[in-house]
Amino acid sequence: MNLDLIELVSIAAALSAILMAGSTHLSMNIALYSLQTFLLSLATYSLAGLRAESHFIWVALAIVVLKALGIPLFLHWIMVKIGVNSDPGTTLAPPLAMHCCVLLMGLSYFLAQSLPSSSLEGHSWANATAAISLLLSGLILMLTRRIALSQIIGFLVIENGIYLFALTQTSGMPLVVEMGVLLDVLVGVMISGLLVFRIQRSFEHIDVTQLTELRD
Amino acid sequence: MKELDPNEIYRWLIFLPSLLILPALVLGLLRKTKARLQNRIGAPLFQLLFDLKKLSGKGETLSDAISWIFRSTAALNLSMLLLLSLVCPWLVFKPALGTSDLFYVMYVFAAIRFFTLLAALDSASPFAAFGASREATLSILVEPALMLSFAALAVNAKSSELSRVFEFAANSGVEASAIWAFAGMGILLSSLVELSRMPIDDPTTHLELTMVHEAMILEASGRTLALLEYGQALRMTILFGLVTQCFMHVFPAVIALSLGLKVLLSFLGILFIAISLGIFEVLSVKLRWRRNPDFIAYALTMGLLASLIAVGKGLLS
Repeated sequence: MNLDLIELVSIAAALSAILMAGSTHLSMNIALYSLQTFLLSLATYSLAGLRAESHFIWVALAIVVLKALGIPLFLHWIMVKIGVNSDPGTTLAPPLAMHCCVLLMGLSYFLAQSLPSSSLEGHSWANATAAISLLLSGLILMLTRRIALSQIIGFLVIENGIYLFALTQTSGMPLVVEMGVLLDVLVGVMISGLLVFRIQRSFEHIDVTQLTELRD
Repeated sequence: MKELDPNEIYRWLIFLPSLLILPALVLGLLRKTKARLQNRIGAPLFQLLFDLKKLSGKGETLSDAISWIFRSTAALNLSMLLLLSLVCPWLVFKPALGTSDLFYVMYVFAAIRFFTLLAALDSASPFAAFGASREATLSILVEPALMLSFAALAVNAKSSELSRVFEFAANSGVEASAIWAFAGMGILLSSLVELSRMPIDDPTTHLELTMVHEAMILEASGRTLALLEYGQALRMTILFGLVTQCFMHVFPAVIALSLGLKVLLSFLGILFIAISLGIFEVLSVKLRWRRNPDFIAYALTMGLLASLIAVGKGLLS
Protein backbone atom coordinates (compact mmCIF):
# COMPACT_ATOMS: atom_id res chain seq x y z
CA MET A 1 0.00 0.00 0.00
CA ASN A 2 1.53 3.28 -1.07
CA LEU A 3 0.41 6.83 -0.60
CA ASP A 4 0.13 9.12 -3.58
CA LEU A 5 0.89 12.83 -3.72
CA ILE A 6 -2.58 14.02 -2.67
CA GLU A 7 -2.60 11.73 0.35
CA LEU A 8 0.88 12.83 1.42
CA VAL A 9 -0.08 16.49 1.05
CA SER A 10 -3.31 16.16 3.02
CA ILE A 11 -1.61 14.22 5.82
CA ALA A 12 1.08 16.91 5.95
CA ALA A 13 -1.73 19.46 6.32
CA ALA A 14 -3.20 17.45 9.21
CA LEU A 15 0.25 17.32 10.85
CA SER A 16 0.60 21.09 10.55
CA ALA A 17 -2.71 21.45 12.41
CA ILE A 18 -1.35 19.21 15.18
CA LEU A 19 1.78 21.38 15.46
CA MET A 20 -0.47 24.47 15.60
CA ALA A 21 -2.14 23.08 18.71
CA GLY A 22 1.25 22.87 20.43
CA SER A 23 2.52 26.33 19.63
CA THR A 24 1.58 29.32 21.77
CA HIS A 25 3.00 31.92 19.39
CA LEU A 26 0.27 33.50 17.30
CA SER A 27 2.63 34.33 14.42
CA MET A 28 3.73 30.67 14.33
CA ASN A 29 0.08 29.59 14.27
CA ILE A 30 -0.73 31.97 11.44
CA ALA A 31 2.32 30.82 9.42
CA LEU A 32 1.37 27.17 9.92
CA TYR A 33 -2.22 27.92 8.87
CA SER A 34 -0.92 29.56 5.72
CA LEU A 35 1.28 26.52 4.98
CA GLN A 36 -1.62 24.17 5.63
CA THR A 37 -3.93 26.05 3.27
CA PHE A 38 -1.23 26.11 0.64
CA LEU A 39 -0.94 22.31 0.92
CA LEU A 40 -4.71 21.98 0.49
CA SER A 41 -4.59 24.10 -2.65
CA LEU A 42 -1.82 21.81 -3.92
CA ALA A 43 -4.11 18.81 -3.29
CA THR A 44 -6.92 20.59 -5.16
CA TYR A 45 -4.62 21.32 -8.07
CA SER A 46 -3.41 17.74 -8.41
CA LEU A 47 -6.99 16.45 -8.10
CA ALA A 48 -7.94 18.69 -11.05
CA GLY A 49 -5.66 16.64 -13.29
CA LEU A 50 -6.84 13.28 -11.93
CA ARG A 51 -10.57 13.97 -12.17
CA ALA A 52 -10.25 16.06 -15.35
CA GLU A 53 -12.19 18.93 -13.81
CA SER A 54 -10.63 22.16 -14.95
CA HIS A 55 -12.53 24.39 -12.50
CA PHE A 56 -10.51 22.89 -9.61
CA ILE A 57 -7.51 24.85 -10.93
CA TRP A 58 -9.41 28.12 -10.41
CA VAL A 59 -10.50 26.99 -6.95
CA ALA A 60 -6.86 26.17 -6.09
CA LEU A 61 -5.76 29.60 -7.31
CA ALA A 62 -8.48 31.36 -5.32
CA ILE A 63 -7.51 29.39 -2.20
CA VAL A 64 -3.87 30.44 -2.53
CA VAL A 65 -4.73 34.10 -3.02
CA LEU A 66 -7.55 34.44 -0.48
CA LYS A 67 -6.93 31.83 2.19
CA ALA A 68 -3.18 31.16 2.08
CA LEU A 69 -2.09 34.77 1.61
CA GLY A 70 -4.99 37.17 2.26
CA ILE A 71 -6.39 35.87 5.53
CA PRO A 72 -2.99 35.20 7.20
CA LEU A 73 -1.79 38.69 6.27
CA PHE A 74 -5.01 40.20 7.63
CA LEU A 75 -4.72 38.21 10.88
CA HIS A 76 -1.08 39.20 11.21
CA TRP A 77 -2.03 42.84 10.73
CA ILE A 78 -4.64 42.56 13.52
CA MET A 79 -2.08 40.81 15.73
CA VAL A 80 0.44 43.62 15.28
CA LYS A 81 -2.27 46.28 15.69
CA ILE A 82 -3.55 44.83 18.97
CA GLY A 83 -0.06 44.01 20.24
CA VAL A 84 -0.81 40.47 21.41
CA ASN A 85 1.64 37.86 20.25
CA SER A 86 1.15 34.75 22.33
CA ASP A 87 -1.72 32.74 23.73
CA PRO A 88 -1.24 31.18 27.18
CA GLY A 89 -4.04 28.65 26.64
CA THR A 90 -6.86 27.75 29.01
CA THR A 91 -7.47 24.61 31.09
CA LEU A 92 -5.58 22.24 28.78
CA ALA A 93 -1.94 23.27 28.33
CA PRO A 94 -0.87 23.57 24.66
CA PRO A 95 1.60 20.62 24.79
CA LEU A 96 -1.15 18.37 26.15
CA ALA A 97 -3.56 19.71 23.53
CA MET A 98 -1.02 18.66 20.90
CA HIS A 99 -0.89 15.13 22.33
CA CYS A 100 -4.71 15.06 22.35
CA CYS A 101 -4.66 15.99 18.66
CA VAL A 102 -2.30 13.10 17.89
CA LEU A 103 -4.66 10.69 19.66
CA LEU A 104 -7.64 12.21 17.83
CA MET A 105 -5.78 11.59 14.57
CA GLY A 106 -5.69 7.92 15.56
CA LEU A 107 -9.43 8.09 16.31
CA SER A 108 -10.13 9.71 12.95
CA TYR A 109 -8.32 6.81 11.29
CA PHE A 110 -10.96 4.48 12.74
CA LEU A 111 -13.77 6.86 11.75
CA ALA A 112 -12.39 6.96 8.21
CA GLN A 113 -12.41 3.16 8.06
CA SER A 114 -16.17 3.08 8.59
CA LEU A 115 -16.92 5.43 5.69
CA PRO A 116 -18.52 3.80 2.61
CA SER A 117 -15.99 3.01 -0.09
CA SER A 118 -16.15 4.51 -3.54
CA SER A 119 -14.11 4.33 -6.72
CA LEU A 120 -13.87 8.11 -6.88
CA GLU A 121 -10.38 9.51 -7.52
CA GLY A 122 -8.88 10.81 -4.25
CA HIS A 123 -11.50 8.99 -2.18
CA SER A 124 -9.21 7.07 0.19
CA TRP A 125 -8.88 6.36 3.90
CA ALA A 126 -5.78 8.57 4.13
CA ASN A 127 -7.58 11.66 2.82
CA ALA A 128 -10.60 11.00 5.03
CA THR A 129 -8.32 10.53 8.05
CA ALA A 130 -6.54 13.81 7.30
CA ALA A 131 -9.84 15.67 6.84
CA ILE A 132 -11.43 14.40 10.07
CA SER A 133 -8.17 14.97 11.94
CA LEU A 134 -8.03 18.58 10.68
CA LEU A 135 -11.60 19.11 11.86
CA LEU A 136 -10.93 17.69 15.31
CA SER A 137 -7.63 19.60 15.68
CA GLY A 138 -9.47 22.81 14.84
CA LEU A 139 -12.04 21.93 17.49
CA ILE A 140 -9.27 21.38 20.08
CA LEU A 141 -7.68 24.69 19.04
CA MET A 142 -10.96 26.55 19.55
CA LEU A 143 -11.63 24.83 22.88
CA THR A 144 -8.20 25.30 24.47
CA ARG A 145 -7.36 28.87 23.48
CA ARG A 146 -7.85 32.03 25.45
CA ILE A 147 -7.31 34.78 22.88
CA ALA A 148 -10.09 35.68 20.45
CA LEU A 149 -7.63 35.65 17.54
CA SER A 150 -6.77 32.01 18.20
CA GLN A 151 -10.47 31.19 18.08
CA ILE A 152 -10.61 32.60 14.56
CA ILE A 153 -7.60 30.49 13.60
CA GLY A 154 -9.25 27.40 15.09
CA PHE A 155 -12.41 28.10 13.12
CA LEU A 156 -10.34 28.42 9.93
CA VAL A 157 -8.69 25.05 10.60
CA ILE A 158 -12.14 23.46 11.00
CA GLU A 159 -13.15 25.06 7.71
CA ASN A 160 -10.07 23.59 6.06
CA GLY A 161 -11.02 20.15 7.36
CA ILE A 162 -14.56 20.45 5.99
CA TYR A 163 -13.18 21.66 2.66
CA LEU A 164 -10.75 18.73 2.41
CA PHE A 165 -13.54 16.27 3.26
CA ALA A 166 -15.86 17.74 0.64
CA LEU A 167 -13.06 17.80 -1.92
CA THR A 168 -11.94 14.20 -1.55
CA GLN A 169 -15.04 12.32 -0.41
CA THR A 170 -17.59 13.80 -2.80
CA SER A 171 -17.34 14.47 -6.49
CA GLY A 172 -16.69 18.12 -5.74
CA MET A 173 -18.86 21.20 -5.68
CA PRO A 174 -19.48 23.50 -8.63
CA LEU A 175 -17.26 26.53 -9.02
CA VAL A 176 -19.96 28.99 -7.93
CA VAL A 177 -20.54 27.19 -4.62
CA GLU A 178 -16.80 26.95 -3.91
CA MET A 179 -16.34 30.65 -4.59
CA GLY A 180 -19.33 31.45 -2.40
CA VAL A 181 -17.87 29.44 0.48
CA LEU A 182 -14.50 31.16 0.05
CA LEU A 183 -16.16 34.56 0.07
CA ASP A 184 -18.15 33.60 3.17
CA VAL A 185 -14.99 32.58 5.00
CA LEU A 186 -13.26 35.79 3.96
CA VAL A 187 -16.15 37.96 5.14
CA GLY A 188 -16.47 35.89 8.34
CA VAL A 189 -12.82 36.47 9.16
CA MET A 190 -13.11 40.17 8.35
CA ILE A 191 -16.14 40.58 10.62
CA SER A 192 -14.61 38.60 13.48
CA GLY A 193 -11.41 40.61 13.04
CA LEU A 194 -13.40 43.81 13.45
CA LEU A 195 -15.15 42.27 16.46
CA VAL A 196 -11.75 41.54 18.00
CA PHE A 197 -10.94 45.24 17.61
CA ARG A 198 -14.22 46.17 19.32
CA ILE A 199 -13.61 43.71 22.16
CA GLN A 200 -10.11 45.11 22.58
CA ARG A 201 -11.45 48.66 22.73
CA SER A 202 -14.22 48.04 25.24
CA PHE A 203 -12.56 45.45 27.51
CA GLU A 204 -8.86 46.32 27.01
CA HIS A 205 -8.08 42.62 26.45
CA ILE A 206 -9.20 39.87 24.06
CA ASP A 207 -9.36 37.07 26.61
CA VAL A 208 -12.54 35.13 25.82
CA THR A 209 -12.62 33.43 29.23
CA GLN A 210 -13.28 36.79 30.90
CA LEU A 211 -16.01 37.95 28.55
CA THR A 212 -18.75 36.54 30.79
CA GLU A 213 -18.12 39.22 33.38
CA LEU A 214 -20.66 42.01 32.99
CA ARG A 215 -19.42 45.57 32.99
CA ASP A 216 -20.96 48.99 32.59
CA MET B 1 40.29 -19.96 18.01
CA LYS B 2 37.67 -19.00 15.46
CA GLU B 3 38.99 -17.90 12.08
CA LEU B 4 38.54 -14.15 11.65
CA ASP B 5 36.73 -12.94 8.61
CA PRO B 6 38.92 -10.36 6.75
CA ASN B 7 35.79 -8.25 6.36
CA GLU B 8 35.44 -8.22 10.15
CA ILE B 9 39.06 -7.07 10.56
CA TYR B 10 38.46 -4.12 8.24
CA ARG B 11 35.40 -3.21 10.27
CA TRP B 12 37.43 -3.16 13.48
CA LEU B 13 40.19 -1.19 11.75
CA ILE B 14 37.75 1.60 10.82
CA PHE B 15 35.70 1.34 14.01
CA LEU B 16 38.41 1.68 16.66
CA PRO B 17 40.01 4.92 15.39
CA SER B 18 36.56 6.44 14.80
CA LEU B 19 35.74 5.73 18.44
CA LEU B 20 38.48 8.18 19.42
CA ILE B 21 38.41 10.66 16.54
CA LEU B 22 34.68 11.00 15.87
CA PRO B 23 33.68 12.33 19.34
CA ALA B 24 36.48 14.91 19.17
CA LEU B 25 35.48 15.87 15.64
CA VAL B 26 31.77 16.17 16.50
CA LEU B 27 32.40 18.40 19.51
CA GLY B 28 35.09 20.36 17.63
CA LEU B 29 32.86 20.95 14.61
CA LEU B 30 29.99 22.07 16.84
CA ARG B 31 32.18 24.55 18.70
CA LYS B 32 33.93 25.71 15.52
CA THR B 33 30.60 26.39 13.79
CA LYS B 34 29.41 28.41 16.77
CA ALA B 35 32.70 30.33 16.93
CA ARG B 36 32.78 31.13 13.21
CA LEU B 37 29.16 32.34 13.27
CA GLN B 38 30.02 34.60 16.21
CA ASN B 39 33.03 36.06 14.31
CA ARG B 40 35.57 34.25 16.42
CA ILE B 41 38.37 32.00 15.17
CA GLY B 42 37.52 29.32 17.71
CA ALA B 43 39.50 26.43 19.13
CA PRO B 44 41.11 23.88 16.78
CA LEU B 45 38.88 21.02 15.59
CA PHE B 46 40.58 18.43 17.79
CA GLN B 47 40.70 20.58 20.92
CA LEU B 48 39.03 17.78 22.91
CA LEU B 49 42.06 15.53 22.39
CA PHE B 50 44.47 18.27 23.52
CA ASP B 51 42.28 18.89 26.55
CA LEU B 52 42.28 15.20 27.39
CA LYS B 53 46.08 15.11 27.19
CA LYS B 54 46.40 18.19 29.38
CA LEU B 55 43.88 17.00 31.95
CA SER B 56 45.35 13.53 32.27
CA GLY B 57 48.73 15.07 33.16
CA LYS B 58 47.23 17.15 35.94
CA GLY B 59 46.83 16.23 39.57
CA GLU B 60 43.41 15.78 41.13
CA THR B 61 41.83 17.84 43.87
CA LEU B 62 39.29 15.82 45.80
CA SER B 63 36.91 17.01 48.48
CA ASP B 64 37.07 15.33 51.90
CA ALA B 65 33.35 14.61 51.78
CA ILE B 66 33.39 12.22 48.81
CA SER B 67 33.15 8.44 48.91
CA TRP B 68 34.02 5.67 46.45
CA ILE B 69 30.93 6.56 44.38
CA PHE B 70 32.42 9.82 43.12
CA ARG B 71 35.84 8.26 42.49
CA SER B 72 34.53 5.34 40.46
CA THR B 73 31.74 7.07 38.52
CA ALA B 74 33.85 8.50 35.71
CA ALA B 75 35.45 5.16 34.91
CA LEU B 76 32.13 3.32 35.32
CA ASN B 77 30.34 5.71 32.96
CA LEU B 78 33.04 5.53 30.35
CA SER B 79 33.05 1.74 30.41
CA MET B 80 29.27 1.65 30.04
CA LEU B 81 29.56 4.07 27.11
CA LEU B 82 32.20 1.91 25.45
CA LEU B 83 29.86 -1.07 25.90
CA LEU B 84 27.06 0.96 24.30
CA SER B 85 29.31 1.95 21.42
CA LEU B 86 29.83 -1.75 20.75
CA VAL B 87 26.19 -2.86 20.96
CA CYS B 88 24.37 0.23 19.61
CA PRO B 89 23.97 0.30 15.82
CA TRP B 90 25.19 3.88 15.56
CA LEU B 91 27.48 3.20 12.59
CA VAL B 92 26.74 0.99 9.61
CA PHE B 93 30.18 -0.65 9.62
CA LYS B 94 30.18 -1.40 13.33
CA PRO B 95 31.49 -4.94 13.91
CA ALA B 96 28.70 -7.37 14.73
CA LEU B 97 28.79 -8.41 18.38
CA GLY B 98 26.14 -10.96 19.26
CA THR B 99 22.67 -9.66 20.00
CA SER B 100 21.33 -6.84 22.12
CA ASP B 101 17.94 -5.49 23.02
CA LEU B 102 16.55 -1.99 22.38
CA PHE B 103 15.38 -1.61 25.95
CA TYR B 104 18.68 -2.86 27.30
CA VAL B 105 20.43 -0.06 25.41
CA MET B 106 17.91 2.51 26.63
CA TYR B 107 18.43 1.55 30.23
CA VAL B 108 22.21 1.47 29.98
CA PHE B 109 21.84 5.11 28.93
CA ALA B 110 19.62 5.62 31.99
CA ALA B 111 22.19 3.89 34.22
CA ILE B 112 24.88 6.30 33.01
CA ARG B 113 22.61 9.18 33.94
CA PHE B 114 21.87 7.58 37.31
CA PHE B 115 25.54 7.27 38.24
CA THR B 116 26.27 10.83 37.11
CA LEU B 117 23.44 12.01 39.39
CA LEU B 118 24.73 9.94 42.27
CA ALA B 119 28.27 11.27 41.85
CA ALA B 120 26.96 14.84 41.75
CA LEU B 121 25.10 14.31 45.03
CA ASP B 122 28.09 12.53 46.52
CA SER B 123 30.41 15.46 45.81
CA ALA B 124 28.44 17.42 48.46
CA SER B 125 28.64 20.59 46.37
CA PRO B 126 25.36 22.51 46.41
CA PHE B 127 25.71 23.55 42.76
CA ALA B 128 26.21 19.93 41.72
CA ALA B 129 23.10 18.95 43.66
CA PHE B 130 21.12 21.67 41.85
CA GLY B 131 22.32 20.27 38.55
CA ALA B 132 21.44 16.75 39.63
CA SER B 133 17.93 17.78 40.57
CA ARG B 134 17.43 19.46 37.18
CA GLU B 135 18.83 16.46 35.34
CA ALA B 136 16.47 14.15 37.24
CA THR B 137 13.48 16.33 36.28
CA LEU B 138 14.51 16.38 32.63
CA SER B 139 15.09 12.64 32.53
CA ILE B 140 11.58 11.94 33.83
CA LEU B 141 10.10 14.21 31.16
CA VAL B 142 12.13 12.87 28.28
CA GLU B 143 11.85 9.17 29.00
CA PRO B 144 8.33 8.63 27.52
CA ALA B 145 9.40 10.32 24.29
CA LEU B 146 12.48 8.12 23.88
CA MET B 147 10.55 5.02 24.92
CA LEU B 148 7.73 5.62 22.41
CA SER B 149 10.17 6.31 19.57
CA PHE B 150 12.10 3.12 20.26
CA ALA B 151 8.90 1.13 20.78
CA ALA B 152 7.60 2.29 17.40
CA LEU B 153 10.81 1.06 15.77
CA ALA B 154 10.48 -2.26 17.58
CA VAL B 155 6.85 -2.69 16.46
CA ASN B 156 7.86 -1.81 12.90
CA ALA B 157 10.49 -4.57 12.86
CA LYS B 158 8.31 -6.93 14.97
CA SER B 159 11.35 -7.50 17.20
CA SER B 160 13.16 -5.58 19.90
CA GLU B 161 16.53 -7.00 18.91
CA LEU B 162 18.71 -4.14 17.71
CA SER B 163 20.37 -5.94 14.80
CA ARG B 164 16.91 -6.90 13.46
CA VAL B 165 15.39 -3.45 14.06
CA PHE B 166 18.16 -1.62 12.21
CA GLU B 167 18.31 -4.12 9.35
CA PHE B 168 17.94 -2.36 6.03
CA ALA B 169 15.95 -5.17 4.39
CA ALA B 170 13.36 -5.17 7.14
CA ASN B 171 11.52 -2.08 6.04
CA SER B 172 9.77 -0.98 2.92
CA GLY B 173 6.91 1.29 1.98
CA VAL B 174 5.83 4.74 3.00
CA GLU B 175 4.59 3.80 6.48
CA ALA B 176 7.98 2.36 7.46
CA SER B 177 9.72 5.50 6.18
CA ALA B 178 7.29 7.68 8.10
CA ILE B 179 7.91 5.67 11.27
CA TRP B 180 11.68 6.04 10.82
CA ALA B 181 11.42 9.76 10.14
CA PHE B 182 9.18 10.50 13.15
CA ALA B 183 11.16 8.22 15.46
CA GLY B 184 14.38 9.88 14.24
CA MET B 185 12.94 13.32 14.99
CA GLY B 186 11.78 12.10 18.41
CA ILE B 187 15.21 10.68 19.25
CA LEU B 188 16.94 13.82 17.96
CA LEU B 189 14.81 16.15 20.09
CA SER B 190 15.17 13.92 23.15
CA SER B 191 18.92 13.64 22.66
CA LEU B 192 19.17 17.44 22.82
CA VAL B 193 17.52 17.18 26.25
CA GLU B 194 19.56 14.16 27.23
CA LEU B 195 22.84 15.91 26.37
CA SER B 196 21.58 19.17 27.94
CA ARG B 197 22.24 21.13 24.76
CA MET B 198 20.82 24.42 23.66
CA PRO B 199 17.08 24.97 23.97
CA ILE B 200 17.17 23.26 27.37
CA ASP B 201 20.54 24.32 28.69
CA ASP B 202 23.40 26.48 27.46
CA PRO B 203 26.64 24.55 28.04
CA THR B 204 28.83 27.64 27.56
CA THR B 205 27.41 30.10 30.08
CA HIS B 206 29.66 31.15 32.91
CA LEU B 207 27.02 30.75 35.58
CA GLU B 208 27.07 27.21 36.94
CA LEU B 209 24.00 28.00 38.98
CA THR B 210 21.79 27.69 35.91
CA MET B 211 23.45 24.76 34.15
CA VAL B 212 22.59 21.09 34.11
CA HIS B 213 25.41 18.82 33.01
CA GLU B 214 28.27 21.22 33.70
CA ALA B 215 26.96 21.89 37.20
CA MET B 216 27.04 18.17 37.96
CA ILE B 217 30.71 17.75 37.05
CA LEU B 218 31.93 20.91 38.81
CA GLU B 219 33.86 19.00 41.46
CA ALA B 220 35.68 16.78 38.98
CA SER B 221 39.25 17.59 38.04
CA GLY B 222 42.29 15.99 36.48
CA ARG B 223 41.81 12.49 35.09
CA THR B 224 38.24 12.21 36.33
CA LEU B 225 37.31 15.31 34.36
CA ALA B 226 39.13 13.98 31.30
CA LEU B 227 37.12 10.75 31.43
CA LEU B 228 33.86 12.66 31.96
CA GLU B 229 34.53 15.05 29.07
CA TYR B 230 35.39 12.25 26.68
CA GLY B 231 32.37 10.29 27.93
CA GLN B 232 30.02 13.18 27.22
CA ALA B 233 31.44 13.62 23.71
CA LEU B 234 31.12 9.88 23.07
CA ARG B 235 27.52 9.90 24.33
CA MET B 236 26.74 12.75 21.97
CA THR B 237 28.31 10.89 19.05
CA ILE B 238 26.43 7.67 19.78
CA LEU B 239 23.07 9.46 20.07
CA PHE B 240 23.66 11.48 16.88
CA GLY B 241 24.75 8.24 15.19
CA LEU B 242 21.46 6.58 16.18
CA VAL B 243 19.52 9.55 14.79
CA THR B 244 21.53 9.39 11.56
CA GLN B 245 20.75 5.68 11.21
CA CYS B 246 17.04 6.42 11.70
CA PHE B 247 17.06 9.04 8.96
CA MET B 248 19.11 6.79 6.67
CA HIS B 249 16.33 4.21 6.89
CA VAL B 250 13.93 6.72 5.37
CA PHE B 251 15.78 6.49 2.05
CA PRO B 252 15.16 2.87 0.95
CA ALA B 253 11.58 3.85 0.02
CA VAL B 254 13.06 6.27 -2.54
CA ILE B 255 16.45 4.94 -3.63
CA ALA B 256 18.53 1.89 -2.78
CA LEU B 257 21.84 2.65 -1.05
CA SER B 258 25.06 0.73 -1.65
CA LEU B 259 27.24 -0.31 1.29
CA GLY B 260 29.95 2.27 0.55
CA LEU B 261 27.36 5.03 0.40
CA LYS B 262 25.85 3.87 3.69
CA VAL B 263 29.26 4.00 5.41
CA LEU B 264 29.88 7.48 4.01
CA LEU B 265 26.39 8.68 4.95
CA SER B 266 26.61 7.44 8.52
CA PHE B 267 29.79 9.50 8.95
CA LEU B 268 28.51 12.59 7.16
CA GLY B 269 25.13 12.44 8.91
CA ILE B 270 26.72 12.68 12.35
CA LEU B 271 28.90 15.60 11.27
CA PHE B 272 25.92 17.27 9.57
CA ILE B 273 23.87 17.04 12.77
CA ALA B 274 26.81 18.53 14.70
CA ILE B 275 27.10 21.49 12.30
CA SER B 276 23.36 22.15 12.19
CA LEU B 277 23.18 21.98 15.97
CA GLY B 278 25.95 24.59 16.06
CA ILE B 279 23.96 26.87 13.76
CA PHE B 280 20.79 26.27 15.78
CA GLU B 281 22.60 27.07 19.04
CA VAL B 282 23.77 30.41 17.66
CA LEU B 283 20.30 31.36 16.43
CA SER B 284 18.18 30.20 19.36
CA VAL B 285 18.07 31.19 22.99
CA LYS B 286 17.90 29.01 26.05
CA LEU B 287 14.33 28.38 27.16
CA ARG B 288 13.15 29.51 30.54
CA TRP B 289 13.23 26.50 32.86
CA ARG B 290 9.45 26.29 33.15
CA ARG B 291 9.09 26.31 29.35
CA ASN B 292 11.20 23.15 28.98
CA PRO B 293 8.22 20.75 29.16
CA ASP B 294 6.76 22.59 26.13
CA PHE B 295 9.88 21.75 24.14
CA ILE B 296 9.96 18.15 25.32
CA ALA B 297 6.28 17.87 24.35
CA TYR B 298 7.36 18.10 20.71
CA ALA B 299 9.65 15.10 21.19
CA LEU B 300 6.74 13.23 22.75
CA THR B 301 4.48 14.22 19.84
CA MET B 302 6.99 12.76 17.37
CA GLY B 303 7.16 9.57 19.43
CA LEU B 304 3.35 9.37 19.60
CA LEU B 305 3.01 9.85 15.84
CA ALA B 306 5.64 7.19 15.16
CA SER B 307 3.95 4.68 17.43
CA LEU B 308 0.51 5.53 16.03
CA ILE B 309 1.69 4.80 12.50
CA ALA B 310 3.39 1.62 13.72
CA VAL B 311 0.14 0.43 15.34
CA GLY B 312 -1.85 1.37 12.23
CA LYS B 313 0.59 -0.53 10.03
CA GLY B 314 0.31 -3.57 12.29
CA LEU B 315 -3.51 -3.42 12.13
CA LEU B 316 -3.62 -3.11 8.33
CA SER B 317 -1.18 -5.87 7.44
